[in-house]
Amino acid sequence: MNAWQLFYRQFFELEGYRNVLIGLKNTAVIAVIGLMIGMVIGCLLATTKIVPKKNKLIGFLSGATSVYVSIFRGTPMVVQLLLIHFVLLPALGIHIPLLMEAVLAFGLNSGAYVSEIMRGGILSVDGGQTEAGRALGLTYGKTMIKVVLPQAIKNVVPTLGNEFIALLKETSVVSFITIVDLTKSFQNIANSTYEYIVPYVVLALIYLVLVLIVTSIIKLIERRLRASDKR
Amino acid sequence: MISVKNIYKNFKDVSVLRGVSCNINNGERVVIIGPSGSGKSTLLRCMNLLEEPTYGEVWLDGKLVTPPDPYLHSDVIKTSKTYDRLANENPNASPEEIVKKIKDEDLLGKREGKAYKAALKKIDDENGIDINLARQKMGMVFQHFNLFNNLTVMENLMLAPVQLKLKTKEEAEAKATELLHRIGLYDKKDEYPSRLSGGQKQRIAIIRALAMDPDAILFDEPTSALDPEMVGEVLDLIRQLANEGMTMVIVTHEMGFAKEVGTRIIFVDEGHIKEEAPPAEFFANPKDERLKEFLSKVL
Repeated sequence: MNAWQLFYRQFFELEGYRNVLIGLKNTAVIAVIGLMIGMVIGCLLATTKIVPKKNKLIGFLSGATSVYVSIFRGTPMVVQLLLIHFVLLPALGIHIPLLMEAVLAFGLNSGAYVSEIMRGGILSVDGGQTEAGRALGLTYGKTMIKVVLPQAIKNVVPTLGNEFIALLKETSVVSFITIVDLTKSFQNIANSTYEYIVPYVVLALIYLVLVLIVTSIIKLIERRLRASDKR
Repeated sequence: MISVKNIYKNFKDVSVLRGVSCNINNGERVVIIGPSGSGKSTLLRCMNLLEEPTYGEVWLDGKLVTPPDPYLHSDVIKTSKTYDRLANENPNASPEEIVKKIKDEDLLGKREGKAYKAALKKIDDENGIDINLARQKMGMVFQHFNLFNNLTVMENLMLAPVQLKLKTKEEAEAKATELLHRIGLYDKKDEYPSRLSGGQKQRIAIIRALAMDPDAILFDEPTSALDPEMVGEVLDLIRQLANEGMTMVIVTHEMGFAKEVGTRIIFVDEGHIKEEAPPAEFFANPKDERLKEFLSKVL
């Protein structure tokens, strides 16, 4: 049997595809929910940085955000994943499904990046917009929600898209805590046939297609948002 | 109506305003002029607290907009720990002398005791007004228009009145429609600001302020960012409002306009008000040396 036949047999006749589908699902779940958590955390963290410093609490939260961002940007994703799986959760006595652990780790990590993206997005909105809102008597919060954030989000969509793509590809490290993701499922196929070319090329192509799909979705969203300002 | 009391404004090490006081009365049109960097825009921005004064107070219709400034209240100073300490050290000094020393040398610190805090809070409780409420009555027009880029013209005009529950959606839309007709831009109601010319943007910014039914409007160099051929249309609109009796404070470099529209001209230089007079006298008989020099350059 040649390489292709070996792969074909393993994938279809020996039902390797079931494994691949599970892996694909896991990859998607971790990336999508991870980004969602990351957006929530990121927006909260960015807020602590943007709010004009008035009191000690905000000052403290802003400092805490800096530490958080440094830690999660300063260490490799795999290390964070291993620490959460083998150290943090056991130490706290928390038992959650493996997949949730991965989602948590990626969400926390992504939050650090998204907070910086959101902060940049908000800062990129001209300060005159806030001033105009405040001068009309709108509160800081109202001005943010009605005027600044809609413009900030439009500015950050491309960068957020990048973050999602990076996240999607980085999910391949979850096999370190024995989760079967897309990469792991193809690794299994390769290992059982001792034939590497076909599975890994197919794997690469699948990632490529996924990223292309995501890219076109981002482009679509961007165009939607741009349409509203008819530039 | 607007009363500015002994305002100082420091940005880091630079002191921009150094003790400015002025009153804007109802129906007055006060024009502030001065060389660039003199603090005239800062003075205007302090009136609605877009800049918070370092010292001093701003009052609107008898209500205190800024936090109370202890240095303006001798009886508050007398409740401070610093006053007690100085009174003990100089038993022969009169209370007035001690208060004066504290004022002159800026001796009040952050911790001046409970009585002092309570005295300040009492002033604030009795006279204070929420800044957002004060701003609703003081419209502002900016040099760079600052229309909300994510909203259409109509939405720009309706956002604040509706969000602040001053008007229902229908009322706000009716008012906005009326204002747009007035400036002849009703056909632009669904455009986004990026599609408008500078003059159109600024006129819409002016009616955005009017949509709030303000008691006064502050203009911060309203024509400085415009192409020359658009200056006229914006000045015309401001002139119309002036003729209707709107109270205004205008920072501008347009001397001819200042002379024509203003009821009083204020010359600000180096953080002080150097001269203040009705336009005829101001331009014909300037007294301050700096003002003479300034006028000789700009007229």
